[in-house]
Amino acid sequence: MIGATAGMTETQLQENPLLEGLGARRTPEPCVLIIFGASGDLTHRKIFPALYALAVRKLLPEKFAVVGAARSELTDDEFRDQMEHAVREFGRDDFNQDVWDWLGEATRYVSVDFTDRSRDQQVMQFMNEIDAERGTRGNRVYYLAVPPQAMPMVVQEVGARRQAEGWTRLIVEKPFGHDLASARALTELISEHFTEEEVFRIDHYLGKETVQNMLALRFANGIFEPIWNRRYVDHIQITAAETLGVEGRAAYYEHAGAIRDIFQNHALQLVALTAMEPPIDFTAESVRNEKVKVLKAIRTPAPDHVVRGQYGPGYIDGKDVPGYREEDGVDPASMTETFLTAKLLVDNWRWADTPIYVRIGKRLARRETTIAIQFKRAPHPPFEDATTEELEANMLLVHVQPDEGVSLAIGAKVPGQGMRIRTVHMDFLYGGAFRTELPEAYERLLLDAMLGDQTLFTRSDEVEEQWSLVDAIVAAWARDRPAFPNYAAGTWGPPGSDELMRRDGREWLRH
Amino acid sequence: MSTAVHAVEWSGQDVEVGDVVRALCRLREESAHETTGPDLRTSVMTHLAWVPSEWEEAAVGTLAGLGERHPSRGILLFPEPEASDGIDARVSILAFPLREQRRHIAAEVVELRLRGRSSRAAASIVNPLLVPGLPVFLRWRGRPPFGQSEVDQLIDVTDRLIYDSTEWPDTPRAYEELPFDRAACSDIAWRRTEPWRGVLARLWPGVGEARLLRVRGPVAEASLLVGWLRSRLHRKVELEHEDGDEVTEIVVDDMSCSAPREHPTSSDLLSAELDEFGRDPVYEAAARRAFA
Repeated sequence: MIGATAGMTETQLQENPLLEGLGARRTPEPCVLIIFGASGDLTHRKIFPALYALAVRKLLPEKFAVVGAARSELTDDEFRDQMEHAVREFGRDDFNQDVWDWLGEATRYVSVDFTDRSRDQQVMQFMNEIDAERGTRGNRVYYLAVPPQAMPMVVQEVGARRQAEGWTRLIVEKPFGHDLASARALTELISEHFTEEEVFRIDHYLGKETVQNMLALRFANGIFEPIWNRRYVDHIQITAAETLGVEGRAAYYEHAGAIRDIFQNHALQLVALTAMEPPIDFTAESVRNEKVKVLKAIRTPAPDHVVRGQYGPGYIDGKDVPGYREEDGVDPASMTETFLTAKLLVDNWRWADTPIYVRIGKRLARRETTIAIQFKRAPHPPFEDATTEELEANMLLVHVQPDEGVSLAIGAKVPGQGMRIRTVHMDFLYGGAFRTELPEAYERLLLDAMLGDQTLFTRSDEVEEQWSLVDAIVAAWARDRPAFPNYAAGTWGPPGSDELMRRDGREWLRH
Repeated sequence: MSTAVHAVEWSGQDVEVGDVVRALCRLREESAHETTGPDLRTSVMTHLAWVPSEWEEAAVGTLAGLGERHPSRGILLFPEPEASDGIDARVSILAFPLREQRRHIAAEVVELRLRGRSSRAAASIVNPLLVPGLPVFLRWRGRPPFGQSEVDQLIDVTDRLIYDSTEWPDTPRAYEELPFDRAACSDIAWRRTEPWRGVLARLWPGVGEARLLRVRGPVAEASLLVGWLRSRLHRKVELEHEDGDEVTEIVVDDMSCSAPREHPTSSDLLSAELDEFGRDPVYEAAARRAFA
């Protein structure tokens, strides 16, 4: 056994009076986690290190198995060796041989090829053997970490062979479709075999502590909600900036671009969490209902409210980096956008006429994800203009990454004779207040999926609203052909992004 | 965990509390000047520790493991009631690096030797030093003399009282004196039983009919475990106890329990208590039934 309370379930918690108050309350029921796409980067970099971190914290069920499934021919031992290497390289905890021995012993590998009809029962037969061997009772978590083109086939094959015993959960990695039509088609295919309660569409941003802290900040603090509206907020800026280029993902990125890679999912999630109404409780349905309402209320942005860009050569961290069109695997005449700014308007009572500016992109000046709530200026400061030259409007900054935390920009008197007021920041840094390392998003999400908690996963209607907005933006792009590249790597994007703000008498947050 | 990258310090003998407050302010400024960017003075709590001389060595060791995990204002009170009246003080500001950042988090440590009569009026000394508006945790080493002024005064300024009842000579009877109505109470001995409680919980539903609990280990932990079973199961459970430094064996009726693998350190246990803010009704019920 790995933990004193391992194996306790939510149901048992309700029936067993001895469980109340015990530490490890959220331990899933016995289950097998089957990772399709186990030879991929995600399994190595995220999924297995997350499983290991959960094992270190004794959060996995005692009766547990993880099965890697991919086309490659590997033995169990070869797969275990690969995963051990991945855990050593990408895990956030020091390597502990005892923990790995436990997880390694629970790890299996099966080579799958769903196009080979002679082997199509092999995976399910393998699972049944594991159920018998490890007491996992037919409970399955299928993790679909496969390329988009393979998704329908795996859904079909897994769905057609789902077992009668135990429960089933299906974790679907992004992208969930390529547009509204393909997302709907995938939803229809999935719904032929799985109920919505069994489907867990991952957007790993929702697993980040700081993203969840947005809910805590807004709904656990009485001081913010009364001013979280058009009356007090001038506008909102959401920035999700990367310094990385396409990093070997050119084949995918060429078709996706920034709008499908980041805007459709991560950025719109941040918009929804920032703008949603308070849910009546923190259940999956309540939270997701409110997010969907916000997404429905977003007006399709006019063409001049969207700026797209593509990076050219430039400098990152003092080093030359090539332009997007010079990256391996990218069409030298590519018109794929690597940057996007959009001015979004949410047509509801809370946010009418209060713009939310979203800026995302690759090869920008700095890696950061920030939500900035810019409040309106004080209506009538009783100071001479000269005394407040260095004073900016109050701003609440939620740092999603890095420097996870919250800052509030306020005006303070500069010490000395006379009155000079300057903007200073009050900082709350996660690392300063809670001296523990933040868990990786995948740890939380994997555990939640095993527990059947869908709060931090995206519902089908939410995905459809996201795609609906993306499709509308992309449709307008068919009519023009911007002069790409239009920004240098290592800058904050094309001039049009700043211009869009200037037209509204605003500017991007200083960096 | 990393160690402090720099520390600034002030000390004085026969000082007044105002001297300590001024020293804290001045050291904070000095500390800020020694690093790139200001140190963050994170305020999540004030951590008081009452450390009689016989516990000094153990307390300093445990607190050393805590400094970085809970960068609060720590106020260590060393009572010396037999010495001549007065207060000696040492104030340090320790700066710990923040992960992936240039900035540091500053932890303030105030050590006060309360000599003579000052040891009987500790609350009046620490009151000006508490971080306003934040919870106060009081770690009491040894057996708190409940009902006497030094402990009662400090409980009045405390939100959470933390102790280790294995340090007490008179458990389980001592549990009857616990001030549940005045402060949230945290017992490190109770926290230490958590892995074993997990093991016992796994015996459900069979354990629901338990009549006899045999425990080899400290009497405090054995008493809390049986009190817990009595209170949770609402039934009589007898205790057979064999003394030991730590719990090594538990048998329910004739059913032997497998030992848990967790062995948290003293710092881990105290750290876990510092993460809890509210009352623990399960513990309170267990302590009340420990002597039943």
